[in-house]
Amino acid sequence: MFVLGFHFPASMGNQIPDELVAEKIADVDISDVKEIKLLMGTKERDKEWLSYTNKDTFLFRAMVHYFKEENPEKLQKYMIYMNRYQMSAISKRVDAADDETMKLCHHLDNMEQFRIEVA
Amino acid sequence: MAGAPSLRQIAFYGKGGIGKSTTSQNTLAAMSHYFDKNIMIVGCDPKADSTRLILHEKAQDTILSLAAELGTIEDVEMEQARLWGKGLFDKETPGGWINCTESGGPEPGVGCAGRGVITAINFLEEEGAYDEEGLDFVSYDVLGDVVCGGFAMPIREGKAQEIYIVMSGEMMAMYAANNISKGILKYANTGGVRLAGLVCNARMTDKEYDLALELAQRLGTQLIHFVPRNNIVQHAELRRMTVVEYSPYSDQAREYKELARKIVNNDMKIIPTPITMDELEELLLAFGLEDEVDESQVGKAAEA
Repeated sequence: MFVLGFHFPASMGNQIPDELVAEKIADVDISDVKEIKLLMGTKERDKEWLSYTNKDTFLFRAMVHYFKEENPEKLQKYMIYMNRYQMSAISKRVDAADDETMKLCHHLDNMEQFRIEVA
Repeated sequence: MAGAPSLRQIAFYGKGGIGKSTTSQNTLAAMSHYFDKNIMIVGCDPKADSTRLILHEKAQDTILSLAAELGTIEDVEMEQARLWGKGLFDKETPGGWINCTESGGPEPGVGCAGRGVITAINFLEEEGAYDEEGLDFVSYDVLGDVVCGGFAMPIREGKAQEIYIVMSGEMMAMYAANNISKGILKYANTGGVRLAGLVCNARMTDKEYDLALELAQRLGTQLIHFVPRNNIVQHAELRRMTVVEYSPYSDQAREYKELARKIVNNDMKIIPTPITMDELEELLLAFGLEDEVDESQVGKAAEA
């Protein structure tokens, strides 16, 4: 079973508890990141930049981890659809009370392509 | 079973037209190119389009067509029926390699297409194709709308051990995925075949991810990957190439690379728990793909 690209052994079944996924990203260093910037869309006229700054959430940590993984030069990175859908699904359970996160999840759930940068 | 103990025999099943051959070839290309896996493709679709992107050809000669042309299956030589991939997938280039065979099928309206699958696999086993040095994966690409006995042959005879079902969020694709699961369940105890995951080859319809995920969970398996729709796949196909070869740093190549990584590392192989037709319809209703129908209106034409 794969969640956010992490492999969980088959013996754990096909529904991995959110806290076990959170454990996988617990050690990611977010101290050097103030803002996550997401470029939504592919067509020039429809492209839109989204900003996300709430560092106290699962989503922020998951996105920083995604951005930094195998990206030593910190270049803008394409977001794998499945990973971002899974980030959104977990966030809607664990950070449901945070309006900024829920607003971003609403965007993440759509069919547009996303690219990620951090600042 | 033929082949080394470490050999993994996988199969891509799915509804006709779902993008099964495209998905399988792009994924296998990624497994070979990025993860150095050596692969034999056994195309089990009468369309014989399971290898064209690896070979850069319209369609290779099928084992059945060669047998018909030469007289009998005994007259067919391995080098006629099995071709080495071109470009990145050639045995002489660095990284993994891919070789290709197509079973073929009867003329339309005549005979059983499944017989071609049986003949092809027996031929390849007798000719030692499964014993090729360094072979890591055998991949069967199988039509699965109906799961007749012939097309079930790779799972019935214990050849393919792990099945990936290519589907989308459309009703008939989900119906076929459930039906294929029933076929796997039937042979799971006798042949050891297991369902290894659903691959959503997305049509980019509303709630498609949620729907595919829900079906996967009800079947007891995983949605191993959601492959978005991207025009680059068609651009690559026009050149008879996989995206991995056509544009290896493209976003879509990254998607196939991720799916390939997951398959290489996948250990979730389960006996599926198919759902009833009523449950499938309920699922479609729940995700808004069907409007609830007033029973009193069933069978009545729309008013002018």
